[in-house]
Amino acid sequence: MTVDVLDPATLPVDDNVNPYVFCVDLNGEWFLQKGKMIAYYGDIRFDGLGHGPLDGLVAASFHSPLHAGHWVVAQGRGKLLLADRAYDVNSFDLEDGNLNIRSGNLLAFQPGLALKQSIIPGFLTLIGTGKFVAASNGPVHFVEPPIRVDPQALVGWADTPSPCHHYDHHYLRGFLGGVRALTGIGGASGEEHQFEFTGSGTVLMQSSEALMPEEAVGAVGVAGEQGRGVPGAGVPQQAGGQPGQEGLGGLLGGILGGR
Amino acid sequence: MLAVELNGDAVRAKNGSMVAYDGRMGFKRLTGGGEGLRGMVTRRVTGEHMTVMEVKGQGTCYFADRASNINLVRLGGEKLYVEASNLLCTEEGLRTGTTFTGLRGAAEGNGLFTTTVHGTGWAALMSDGPAVILRVAPGLPLTVDPGAYVAHTGELKQQFVSGVTWRTAIGEGSGEGVQLRFEGSGTVYVQPSERTTLGGQL
Repeated sequence: MTVDVLDPATLPVDDNVNPYVFCVDLNGEWFLQKGKMIAYYGDIRFDGLGHGPLDGLVAASFHSPLHAGHWVVAQGRGKLLLADRAYDVNSFDLEDGNLNIRSGNLLAFQPGLALKQSIIPGFLTLIGTGKFVAASNGPVHFVEPPIRVDPQALVGWADTPSPCHHYDHHYLRGFLGGVRALTGIGGASGEEHQFEFTGSGTVLMQSSEALMPEEAVGAVGVAGEQGRGVPGAGVPQQAGGQPGQEGLGGLLGGILGGR
Repeated sequence: MLAVELNGDAVRAKNGSMVAYDGRMGFKRLTGGGEGLRGMVTRRVTGEHMTVMEVKGQGTCYFADRASNINLVRLGGEKLYVEASNLLCTEEGLRTGTTFTGLRGAAEGNGLFTTTVHGTGWAALMSDGPAVILRVAPGLPLTVDPGAYVAHTGELKQQFVSGVTWRTAIGEGSGEGVQLRFEGSGTVYVQPSERTTLGGQL
């Protein structure tokens, strides 16, 4: 337990105060997600993105109209403390790189980076050079492809080709599989669906499968606990079926069933 | 979790927060927060409810509440301002009371009143995530999000800063529309998480 009393002189510069609080040494502008500021020293203004004088900045670094309502620009000079629901907070440097991150996990970024919407729903892409701050439920782990990860544990990925869905074949093999595929009834381990990464780069994972509540931004009808946070999981389904498996199961199940 | 060693003396703790103890302990619920009839009436009127028990005995007593983080504060005669819901345990030598906070409490959704602790001894505060302790000095004002505020000590003047403009009304608010500015000298405890507050959505 820390009993240190901190003031602007002893607060770290662009670094973590503790695993849950990050201190930004603001001198200019940063983009923040709304409501993540917990305290600040100095003279700082917070403005919505539609604010006139910010037009140039926003035009240069913010390219996601879907998320514009959730972001603000902090400008001024001082020490700014960021935190998010007592989740672990980390900062990362990006050098002329690109990174995809789950939209709910990104807290703040420097205007040197450009924010874009990933073509994968629910994710954002940062391109350029600069620092950004992200939250995760439990510490972040860096892993290298080739790897398959649980959709709920995925925080983001950098410099790799985009992932694809991977379904284990087990769940539609054999008699039980046939029943499951045809009726949607039957046991499933809950782990037959993964994201597969190949090539070189880094994949960021959190050590929990708890997701931040996020806005449904351009996501295709996500439904149920299984489909939570899985882009494209909520394919059109029939009543009573298991979300996520019905589309593929129904297609292949039809072939299997007619055999 | 907080472990308190008792040697015939007593502590006051939030009712029901004991999770384990060894030795001999007696638990007694104190009506009206142990502040006598006047305190009882004040708390009833102000809505700053605090159900407190007195623990007395020999041995070690363990307190915890919803796995929240516990911060120990050593008081040497000064006054600690804290929300009743964030106060876990105080030493016998500390007196608790109620005070008017004005608009701040209203924005936090905690009512217009707050709890004060003064005297000499240890007090245990609860927060969601470990609290960051920030110093406020003359010329060094601190601005805090009302949802992250936990407690403060010292001679501090609180002031509301409102960034609510016509933009807020059309859904272009900054999300940080309501802030608390502390001036003077003292320390402020801030938690790394935000309660849902009345002002938080602006």
